[in-house]
Order: sequence, then structure tokens, then C-alpha cells
Amino acid sequence: MSRVLNDGRHKMAVDQKQARARRIFLIQAASLTGAGSLVSAVVPAEPTAATAAPIPEPDTTSPLPYQSLSPDEATFIEALVNVMCPADEYSPSGIDCGLATYIDRQLAGPYGKGDGRYQRGPFRSGKPQLGLQLPLTPEQFCKAGIAAVNALCIREHGIPFDRLTPSAADALLQAIEGDHVQDDGLSLALWFNEVLYPLFIEACFADPMYGGNRRAVFWKMIGYPGLPATYTLDMVRYRGTPYPGARDPKSIADFT
Amino acid sequence: MAKKLPKRTVVVVGGGLCAGLVSRQLTANGIDVLVLERGGDHANGAEAKLPNQRDELRWDRRQGLVQNWQRETYTLRHSRAEQSLPVRWMEAFLPGEGVGGAANHWNGVTWRWAEYDPTLRTRYESRYGKAAIPADTPLQDWGTTYGELEPYHDLFEKLFGLSGKAGNIKGAIQRGGNPFEAPRRDEYPQKPLEITEAGSMFKNATEALGLRPFPQPAANSSGYYRNPDGQQLGQCQYCGHCERFICEAHAKGTPDALLYPLLRTRPGFEIRTHAHVLHVDYDRRAKRANGVRYLDLKSGQEYEQPADIVVLAAFTLTNTRLLLLAGIGEGYDPVMRRGVVGKNFCYQTNSGVSVFFKDRWINPFLAAGSTGTVIDEFNNDNFDHSAQPFLGGASISASVTNGRPIRTQRTPPGTPRWGTAWKKARADWYAHSFGVGAQGSCYPHRENFLDLDPEYTDTYGLPLLRLTFDFRENEVRMSDWVTRKVGEICKAMAPDFMSPIAGCSAPFDTRDYQSTHVTGGTIMGAEPRLSVVSPHLQHWDANNLFVVGASVYPHNSGYNPTGPLAALALRLGDDLVRYVERPRML
Repeated sequence: MSRVLNDGRHKMAVDQKQARARRIFLIQAASLTGAGSLVSAVVPAEPTAATAAPIPEPDTTSPLPYQSLSPDEATFIEALVNVMCPADEYSPSGIDCGLATYIDRQLAGPYGKGDGRYQRGPFRSGKPQLGLQLPLTPEQFCKAGIAAVNALCIREHGIPFDRLTPSAADALLQAIEGDHVQDDGLSLALWFNEVLYPLFIEACFADPMYGGNRRAVFWKMIGYPGLPATYTLDMVRYRGTPYPGARDPKSIADFT
Repeated sequence: MAKKLPKRTVVVVGGGLCAGLVSRQLTANGIDVLVLERGGDHANGAEAKLPNQRDELRWDRRQGLVQNWQRETYTLRHSRAEQSLPVRWMEAFLPGEGVGGAANHWNGVTWRWAEYDPTLRTRYESRYGKAAIPADTPLQDWGTTYGELEPYHDLFEKLFGLSGKAGNIKGAIQRGGNPFEAPRRDEYPQKPLEITEAGSMFKNATEALGLRPFPQPAANSSGYYRNPDGQQLGQCQYCGHCERFICEAHAKGTPDALLYPLLRTRPGFEIRTHAHVLHVDYDRRAKRANGVRYLDLKSGQEYEQPADIVVLAAFTLTNTRLLLLAGIGEGYDPVMRRGVVGKNFCYQTNSGVSVFFKDRWINPFLAAGSTGTVIDEFNNDNFDHSAQPFLGGASISASVTNGRPIRTQRTPPGTPRWGTAWKKARADWYAHSFGVGAQGSCYPHRENFLDLDPEYTDTYGLPLLRLTFDFRENEVRMSDWVTRKVGEICKAMAPDFMSPIAGCSAPFDTRDYQSTHVTGGTIMGAEPRLSVVSPHLQHWDANNLFVVGASVYPHNSGYNPTGPLAALALRLGDDLVRYVERPRML
């Protein structure tokens, strides 16, 4: 039952996305804000982040339903992972690598709920070296940041983040990363650098069983062989030479 | 209400390395020992079995084996002028939870410190004059000597099956070992680990510079090994899942592999897991510790556990916290310059330079926790400081310990943090780069100390421990100088790229793992006015209370702290046997 509903929801999201992509072209063509704008590279001819370039290695497995993200939040995260991981000669797009699925799963799970974090008050802001001091869980903080960035995009350009062109979205993320974008409610730099970016890196490089790094594409990209990692003999045999197992990395799932 | 339990001879707080070593000596002499460990037993968990042992996300990123910060963390401020805040998720150092403590997930690097380390103040004063030690640097001798500890170093290395190459056997310098090593009676029990590609490159470069590299001493077993107790180690798999992980191959010297299985067979030994000690019961008038109170985390029941002898062998910082909570000894006051509990809190002053070689295959995943090639020329007082504006130094090494892909994120300077160019850099350099690191000493500073936080509490309502700490001028100068030496070595390797040469600097950042080597707080010494425990680790204000761990170090050296700590714990075990026979100030 739920499977059917979820598939239905996903199809709806895809249809909406395609419809939205067509609208974006028109909106962007009509509303170029020009110089002085934070996001100055809104070029209508370029495809948007959410509808980025064709995938070199299409993944035939059906995408998993989201557990934590709302449709709007999912659209945002999908756009973000496609900007940070465009389809290219190294990997398929961020979505097709499972990066959005990974982030959603982590937000829905113990990490997102703040498991293991000291959450007693009082809460005060402090030096960044003391770490995040928010009463929010990572899931709440992540979503608050998504809402703040979308609000900013709408304020500046009249469109949400996912409708920016990839280069405009990339420029915005760089500005956020470098703490050049201020928001009244929260620190977008901390949001990106302490929550989103670490999740992105994990999504790429954690074991594929967590939903990201599909088919160990990033392990293959860098040459990390994965499991079982029993190298007593290889330690000597492959010292200083290419390691053959790096071409076909194995996940925990391959040994379960 | 706490339930009162029958009295035991010795109760030990914490089930880690020190507790295991103390218990080994005591139970060998038929003495009754109860160990209270707040965590569980990892031996049969997913953390100790393939394939889930190899889960970087679960055990490393999410700290599956580390103290639960939700229940208890530390507060921090960089100076007394600041307000402390709780570190809500600590990355800088990783106390353990469960049988074996932090030593179940350690890398296994095991040094004997310099022969002069226990008498460091005397050493500096005699070499450079009394004025050489700044007034704000309360270095002090330990009240014991390396010579007194040497038999226990020897015993520990044989128990844990260390792999290494001796540099100094009974005063005779050995080729291929550390020429600065303190004299030892024997070669290491096992041959060194295999060298890594990075280690070979570092070895060639440092030898060409006239330095003397050697294999880092390791509690990763280079072969099959049977220790004097009949306990066995398998051969290291070089799997790259050592620090932050339990060794599923039983090839890492850890208390959970080598001590507790033996202890559980000995009559009179008991370990209670999920037993979280809240308090030491102290009789101020009688100057005695009557026992401890602990919470059984499985039932929620609180117990009162009386004992003839109480040994604090918890994580470094917990030892200090328990003394402060019970009001045993005088808390350190940096303004009035009195008191000792919480004094001389030290860390490790680390830095490093990344090097990139497009034609060399580093294969960082072919590694063990202690696969490192090291030089000791620029460590501590192994070089002349008379022209230097600092004291101390660092061991310098090419220590490739793993290639775990979330953590191993080396890219050349200027690489973007995402996008195609980032992917290209990750693809190009992951297997072709490594770091040369400096592990620096951290000497005590009058303004670096521990006390109880006035505001924040743990989940049981008890005050958190507050760290007032930063890297002070001496450490920053030392690190700057040593890191330039690292840069010279890196340049000699002629890499395609190098990261900038920058030493360790303030402010101390809790978001970056640096090392779990926090020390001090319950320091040892010959004078009650300047130390918490005697040279025999006996509390000056309660002669049936003993404290063991890196918390007793008056300073931290440019080495990992485990070696002397283990020697001190074994010696304490023997001292306690004498104490049980005739209780007194030892």
C-alpha cells in the first residue's frame, strides 16, 4: 500500500519538476535582475540544477522514497547534490549517486535526531571552535537552513534555490560557504559547513549500504577497494604499485 | 535509595587499560578486585566482527565506541576571561566507553618516553639554567625515574607483543632503531611492522638529510604472538581500521583482547559493566575513601560499594572530575596560585604538511594503526634549546594509518570543495598523497587547568568538567619551528605539490580530531603541596585512594602517552600488593 503511494508521490514530484522546469525558463527570461544581485549568473538558456545534464551511466534501480524531507525540501537537496556533484566523466549526477537519499536517511535517523549530542541548556552562541551551540537537532537545523536559503532566493530572484541555474546555485553555495550571505535567523555558513557539507562528503564516501555512493562509484573514482581489507600479503606485494582491487570496490552488503 | 553492597578489598573505577594492568598484578597475588565499567562489552558486537567492523560511518564518524556526549561532555573556554560553553559534540579527543576503554579503539603507538622525561625540570635547569623555565610553566619532576619504571615497560611490551626495533639496548645504540631511545633491557618482542610506501620515501629523505629514521613502536602485532600469560595475538591485517575501531583480527594489543579474558578466569576478579560511578565516598576526618557510589545503567538502581582500597583508573579527565566532585584534595586556583586538583592540564601540539606525488602509489588503505616511520632528532630536549625561544619539540613521522575514504580528503592547495574539479582532484590524488606529521610536546601552563563548570551538568545532574585551555606561546613557537623542519623534509622528497607549512596555533578547535592524549589534572610528584598523588600514585589526602592514568603526568611529551602510563599501572599493581599486606603511606 505505502509502496504504491510512495511511487505515486515520486511520479508526481517528477511531473511537477518537469512542469516547473518549463516555467523556470519563462520566469528567468522575464526576471533577470542583473548586476548587484548576489546570484548574478542566472542565464535562462542553461538547464537548471534539478534538470541537469544526461547521466552517463543511468541507474535502472528505482529511487527510494524519502523519510524525512518534504517534497520542497527534497527538491532543494536534489538540486544541491546535483550542483555539488554534477554528472560528468567521474560520476553520475548527485541524485543518481544516491546523495539525496543518503542525506534524507541520515536526517531521519539517529544523527538527524541529535543522538549522542549534548543538548542541555542554556543555549548561547560562542566561538565556532566550540562547535554548534543550537537547541536545534541536525535535522531541524538542516531544514531551517533550506527554508532560509529558499526565502533568500525568492527575495532576491523570485524563484527558489532549485530553479537557479547550476552556475548560479554554485555561486550562491560558495558565498554561503565563505560566510558572505547573512540571514537574520541563523548562520548559513555554519549550516553549510557544519551540517550540509559533512553530509555531502559522507554521502559520497560512506559505505553504499547507507544509500549514497551508489554502486561504490566514489570509491571506484578515488581507488578505494573497500572490503574485506585483509592486506597482510598485499601490504608488501602492492607497496608502491597500483592495487588491482581498487577497480572493483566491495561494500559491506557484498559480504552480508 | 542506594543499596549497600558487601565490602570488597579493591574497587577500581573504569575498565580500561590501567584497570586491567593493576588487576593483573593484584589477582596474581590472590587479591580480590572489583572493576566498575560504565560501558558494555564489545567482544561479540558488530564492532568486533566482519563485515560491519569496517564501517567508517558508524564507528568513526558517528563515534560508535566513544563516550556518549549526550550524557556527559566537557565545557571549554580558551581563557578565564571567557564564558565556558559545553562542547556538544567533541571531535578533538575520544574517550572510550566499554571494556577496554579508550584502549580498545586506539592505534597502538607505544613509546617509552625519554629517559629524562620523569625528571624534566631538573634536566632543563641543569642544561640551561634556572631561568630557562618561564614562571608560567609549572614543569615538575615526577618523583620517580625511568630506571624505576624500566622493568614495567619491559613487562608491558611483552604482554602486549610490541612490534618495533630497539634503538638502545642497555646503553648500546642499535642501528635502525631510535638513537634517542631510553636504554632498554631487550629487543622488542616482535619485529617491526612492514613499512609503507610513504614510510620508505620518508626514510630515504631523512637519511639523505643526515637524520636517523626508525619504525614507530607498535601494539599492532607483526606476527602471531603468545604473551607471558599465554594470551595470543593474530597477525595484523593492515586493514586501515584501527583507531576508532575494535580489531576483529585480534591483532591489536588491547586490554579487552589480552587482559580481561585472562582476568575473568582468575578467582577474586569481577568486572561489572554498565556500572557508572557517580561519586567517591570520602571521610574527610579519617582521610579515607570508604568506597564508591554507582548507577547500574541496566536497572537504574544506585549502589553503594564499600572497599578497603579505591583506585581511580577512569579516563584522564574523569579521574580529575571524580576528585573534584568528592572534594578530595584542594582544587587548583590559578589566581591565588594554590591547590592542585585540575592543575597542569596538557594536550598535544600537533601539525602536519601534506605532500602529493603524481607518479608514486601511496595506497593509504594498506596500513595499520601504527605503521609510521619516525625521526626523534627534534623532539623534547633531544636538541639544543639554548638559542630557542621555547622548550620542547616533536616527533616527526610519515604515519599512514588508513585510507578510509570519508576521512582521507587530501587535495592540493586551491582545489574547490565540490564539483567536477573537486572530483578530479580526489581521483588524481587519493592514492598519491600523504601527510608528514609533527606530534609535539605540550608543557603545563598556569592558565591551562580543569575545574567543575558552575552551570552545565551531566544527565545525572552532576557538574560537567570545565577545560580552560589553549595553545600558549611556548607551544605555538615550538610548533612553528618544528613544522619548518617538517617542511624541509617534505621538500627533500620533491613532491609535485605541498600544503602550506603552518604550525599549530590558537585557538584550540574542538571540531578537529587532534589526538586523545589529554593529560594532567591529578599530577604526581614528591611534594604534597605541588601534586595530587605521590610518586606511588597514592593520594596525599587519603592513603587508601590511588589514581592512575595520564591524569598523573605533570607534562605531556612529544610521544603518545600509553607507554609510561602502562608502566605506572603495572607498578601500582605491585605497590598495592604491598599496601594490602600493610596499609600505610607508601
